[in-house]
Amino acid sequence: MTIRSDRDHGQHYRPRMTCLKKLEAMVVQMQDPSTGVKGSDQKLNVTTIPHVMTDQDIIAWIAKHMSMENNEAQAFGTMLVAYGYIYPLQDHKKLVLKSDGSLYRFQTPYFWPVQKWAAEDIDYAIYLAKRNIRKKGALDAHEQEEYDKLHKWMNHKWDFIVMQAKEQYHAGKARPKADRVVFDCQERAYWIVHRPPPQTHSAMDYGLDRHIDPNTEEKKTFDYYRRINIYTQQAIMRSRVKSSVSLGAMLKYITNFNNHDPFLVPCLPSNPWLTDNDAYWELNTDDIEVPTKMRVERWSFSFYELLNDPRGRADFKVFLKKEFSGENLAFWEAAEELKFGSAATMSEKAEQVFKTFLAPGAPRWINIDGRTMGLTVKGLEHPHRYVLEAAQTHIFMLMKKDTFYRYLKSPVYKDIQKKAISPAPHNFTEAQLEQNMRNRRPSISPIITYQKEQEEKAKAAAAAGPVDIKKLMASKLDRK
Amino acid sequence: MNRWQRSVVEIQTRKRQVNECERAQVALSKVTACFQQMSTSLGSNVDGSFLREEMEETRTVAHKICSGLHRRLLSLLMEIDQGQEDKEQVERLWVIFLSSLENFQQDLKKVKVLQEIFPLTQRKDRQALVITGLAGGTSEVAARAAMVQTPWLSVEVTVSPDLKTHIEEIDVLLEEMLQRVNVPLWSVEPTQEAWVEGSSTPGVGQEEDESLEEMMEVEVVSQNKTSGCCHHHNCKVGCLLCLLS
Repeated sequence: MTIRSDRDHGQHYRPRMTCLKKLEAMVVQMQDPSTGVKGSDQKLNVTTIPHVMTDQDIIAWIAKHMSMENNEAQAFGTMLVAYGYIYPLQDHKKLVLKSDGSLYRFQTPYFWPVQKWAAEDIDYAIYLAKRNIRKKGALDAHEQEEYDKLHKWMNHKWDFIVMQAKEQYHAGKARPKADRVVFDCQERAYWIVHRPPPQTHSAMDYGLDRHIDPNTEEKKTFDYYRRINIYTQQAIMRSRVKSSVSLGAMLKYITNFNNHDPFLVPCLPSNPWLTDNDAYWELNTDDIEVPTKMRVERWSFSFYELLNDPRGRADFKVFLKKEFSGENLAFWEAAEELKFGSAATMSEKAEQVFKTFLAPGAPRWINIDGRTMGLTVKGLEHPHRYVLEAAQTHIFMLMKKDTFYRYLKSPVYKDIQKKAISPAPHNFTEAQLEQNMRNRRPSISPIITYQKEQEEKAKAAAAAGPVDIKKLMASKLDRK
Repeated sequence: MNRWQRSVVEIQTRKRQVNECERAQVALSKVTACFQQMSTSLGSNVDGSFLREEMEETRTVAHKICSGLHRRLLSLLMEIDQGQEDKEQVERLWVIFLSSLENFQQDLKKVKVLQEIFPLTQRKDRQALVITGLAGGTSEVAARAAMVQTPWLSVEVTVSPDLKTHIEEIDVLLEEMLQRVNVPLWSVEPTQEAWVEGSSTPGVGQEEDESLEEMMEVEVVSQNKTSGCCHHHNCKVGCLLCLLS
C-alpha cells in the first residue's frame, strides 16, 4: 500500500507531455489496414512472425504522410520507437529506427506511455519476478540489481508480488502460443522504455514532478484576473530596445567570446573533462602569480569580467594603489560583502561602511553625487542588504567609465600582458589518456581554500588598518 | 481475553475464517491476473464486444471477492488481541489485500481510459484498433477467471457497479481501510523468498518456456563489435542521442 501523506509538498503531477496525444493519433493512422504502413507476416525458419513492418516502409510512410525528407522521417520514427509506440523485434534494447530492413511492430494500447500515470515499481517487480519464474537466470545484471533493491524496500509487499507474478504467469500460459510470444515481446518492450538499461537515455525523462496538475483548467477567479492585469501592466512598462541594437550587442559579445568558449575552440592546454588532466584548472586558480594569456585578454572585454575574476580584481587593486584611488574598489567590495554576507553582522558592517566611506571627513571618502549620498545615509539608519545598492552602482559606473580605461592603458596591465603565459596544447595518445584516467586525484578541499582566503583577508586587513602610532614610536625608541 | 479461556470452538472458527480469507486472496490474485491479461488486448485488433463482456464478467467476480474479503478481514482485525498467534498472519493478509486492491484499481483506471479512446459503438471504430500481431482471443483466460469460485459458503447478494463507480468505490474503500485499522504496513514479514523460481512443472512446461525465449529472439541482422551507438571510438553511450560527432 502506498503511504499517502500530505507533507510531500504536493508534487504528484508529471509535466504535460502533449506530444503523447498527438503521437497516439498518428499511430492510429499508421496502423490503418488500408492507408497505413504495410505489415506482413514474416516467415522465420519454422515459425511465422505475425504482422511486422520493415523500417524502410515506416520511413517511407512517414515521409509521404508528413512531407518530409527521409532522414527527418527516420529521426521522427526513432522518437516513436523511443516513446514505445513501436518496438523493434531484433536488438530490442536499442530503441532506434534503423534503415537496414529490421522488423518492427506496433505496441498494444495498454502499454502506451501515459502522462498521468508513471510505470509503477510494483509492476516492475512483478514483471521481473515473472521472468525469473519463467526461466531462472534470465535477468540481466542491472535487472538483478533492481530486483534486489525492490525486494529490499518493498519487502512488506513481497508476498503479494510473488503471488501476482505466479498468477500472471499462469494466466499468460492459458493463451495460444503465438499470442504468448507477442505478449511477452510487448511487455518486454514496455519495460525497456520505462526502465531503460544503464547508459541509455530514456525518452520519458522529464526532470521533477510538478505541483499543479497541468491538465486541469485554472479557475478564473478574481485573483487570477488580478495577476493577469499586473503582469500585462508590467509588460507594457518595460523599456524596449530595437532588435537591431540588441542583436548587434549579441553579435559583439559572441565575436569577443568566441575564442574563449571551450565548446567551440579547444581550451589550452587541454580540457580536463575530456583528457582527465587538470593542468587547465591549476593554471587558472584564483591566487596564481602568472595568469594565462586568455584570461588576461578576457579582462579587457568588460569591466564586469575584470571585477569578477579574482586575479583580475587583484591586479586592478595593484593599479589603484599606485594611483592612490583604492577607496572606490574598497567601497564596492564592502557593498558586495553586505549584500551576500551573513545577516548577523549586517548592522556592524553597515556602521563600518558609514564610518569609513560615507561620513563627511571619513578616511576613505568616496565621491558620489549628493542625492545618492543623501538616500544612502538615510537608508543606513535601518540597514538592510541592499541599502548600498544605489551608491554601489554609481561607483561601479564611475570606475567603469574612467578608471577601467586608464587601467587598460597602464603599464601595470601591459606588464601583466607580457608576463602572461600561453600553455602549449597537450596531445595525449590513447595510452596516456588511460593513464590520466587512472591518475585522477581529488583536488584541494574547498574548506582549506576557504581557510586560506580568510587568512589572507585577515593579513590584508591588518596591513591596511590605521597604523598604530604608539607601536611605531615604540619600535623606533627601542632602536635608540 | 486470555487464550486459555477461549473455547476450542472459537479458536477453530477463527482458524477457518483465516483460511477462508487466504483462499479468497489467492482467488482474487487469480482473477486480477486474468483481468490484466485481457486488458492488454484492449484497443488491439482482437478487441471486440465479446472481449469487453468477458472483462465485465471478470470484474464482477473480482468485485464480489473484494467486498467479501474486505468485510471478513475487517471483522478479524477488530477482534484481534495482543499476543494472538495469528495476528501476524492476519496483518500479512491485510497488507496483501491492500496492495492487490491498489494494483487492481490501477488496471481499472487504465481500462477505463482505453475504453474511452477506443469506443466500439460504430463500425468505423474498428479501423482504429491497432494491429499488434495478436491472433487468438482471450477466451481461455476468461475461462480461467470464470473458474474461480468465492470460497465462502454463504451466498451474499452484492450489487456489482459499473466501471467508474467501481474505481471510486475502491478509493473510498482504501481510505476507510487506512483510517480504521492501525496496522503498520512495513512491519509485515513476507513468507516468500526473494528469488522465486518456477515450480517443478513437468518437463513439457519447461521446454515450452525455453523455446518461447528463442522465438522472441529474432536473429540480429548485423553483428557490430562496438557496443556504442555510433562508430566513434570514445562513445560509450548505448543509444543514438550522444553528443560525439
